[in-house]
Amino acid sequence: MALPDVLIVDDDRLLRAMLRDALSDIPCSVREADSGDSALAEIAKQEPAVMLLDLIMPGRSGLELLKTLTTKGVKTRILVISSLDTESLVQQALADGAHGFLVKPFHPLEVQNVVRGALEAAPGAKA
Amino acid sequence: MSSFWLADSDARVLGPVGLDVVRDLALRGKLNDVRAVSKDGKTFVPVREVPEIQQALQVTPNTDELARAQADATKQIRDWLTSIKGRASEEVFRVPPNASREAWRAAFFSLVYRYVPGRLPPEATPELRLACEDAFLTLSERMVDVERQFRATKPTASNAAMQTTTLQVRWRGGMIHVRITLARGDVQPFLADHENTWKQDCVFIASAEKLMTNTPADLTIGFEGHVTQIHSTGRVVGSRTTPSPGFSVKMLDLGEAQRAMIRTWVARAS
Repeated sequence: MALPDVLIVDDDRLLRAMLRDALSDIPCSVREADSGDSALAEIAKQEPAVMLLDLIMPGRSGLELLKTLTTKGVKTRILVISSLDTESLVQQALADGAHGFLVKPFHPLEVQNVVRGALEAAPGAKA
Repeated sequence: MSSFWLADSDARVLGPVGLDVVRDLALRGKLNDVRAVSKDGKTFVPVREVPEIQQALQVTPNTDELARAQADATKQIRDWLTSIKGRASEEVFRVPPNASREAWRAAFFSLVYRYVPGRLPPEATPELRLACEDAFLTLSERMVDVERQFRATKPTASNAAMQTTTLQVRWRGGMIHVRITLARGDVQPFLADHENTWKQDCVFIASAEKLMTNTPADLTIGFEGHVTQIHSTGRVVGSRTTPSPGFSVKMLDLGEAQRAMIRTWVARAS
C-alpha cells in the first residue's frame, strides 16, 4: 500500500530541508514545491494527504493558493507555516480553509505531532 | 472590504489580506520590508501610492511588547543553554545513542535552524542576537564532536584548514582591505597589540605590509562556527616589525552587537 503523501510548499530551501528531515520519522512520502505555481503542478499530478504551506512566497502567495485549493474542493489537509502569527491572520487562514497553523520557528517534534495528527485525520486514513 | 497583496524586496508576496491584518502585523513589527502593494494581486505599485497601507505601515510597533517578547526569548535561550550543560549530546539532539550520522545531522539542522543569527529581524536586541549566537555555536561544537566520532581518526586536509586562521590583505582604491577568518579560539588579533586591543575597538593584523598611521582600512572579520561577520571601516593606529610584524586598525563604525560578538569570542577563548 502506498504511503500517505506530504507536500512541503516553501520558497526557503533550508526550511524545506528542515521539514523533510523532521518528517523522516513519519511513514509518509514527501514532495517539495518552492512556489505556489509549482505546488499547483504537484497537486495536479496527485493530491497530497497533507500540505505544509508557507504564506509568503514569490508569485502566487500562500493565501492565494489556499483559497484556490479550497475553491477547487481539494481534500488535502493544509497546515499553514508562518512567522506571522497575529490573531487576525491566523483567523483568516483558518477561515480560508487551513486546517492548522504552525508558527515559525518550531521544533521538529511539533512538526511531527501536527503532521501525524493531520495524516490521521486525512480522508482515506485508517481509523 | 478591500484586500491587499504586499510584496517585499525579494518579491515574496503576502495576500490577499485586509487592512486589519496589515495593521496587526505592522503593530507587531512584522512588516519591515514591504516595498510594493497591489489591490488585485497582479499590478503592484510603490507603497506611497496606496495611502491606507502607507499609513498602516507607519504605525510605531508596540515597543514594550516587542522588548518584552525579545527579553523572554533571550531568557528562554539562556535557560536552555544552562539546562544542557553537562548533558549528553544524545539528550540535547534527542536521538538514540546508536543513531546514524544522517539522523544526527537531521536532528542538528532541525534544532539549529531557530538559532541561525542571520534569520533574526534587524530590530533584534544585541542580547537576543548574542544568545542565538551562543546557542548556534554550542550546537555546532557538539555536532563537530559527533562528526569526529564518525570520522576516521586521521584528520582530513579540510579539517586541518578549518583550524587555521585565514588572512587576506590587499590594496584597492587607496585603502587597505583586510579579510580575516578567525579559527575557533584564536583571539590573538584582539590582544596581540597591548596598546590597541579589542577594548579600544582595535584589531591587530599580522602582516608584512608597512603602513603609515591613519591609512584607511576596510575590514571583514569572520568567526569560525559563527554566521555573523563584522564589516567595518577603520584607520591604522600603529604598526610594528617585532616580535612579529603587523599593524593595528581601529574599527570606526562598530555597533553594540559587533562589540558583543568580539567580547564573547574573547571571553570564550579565555
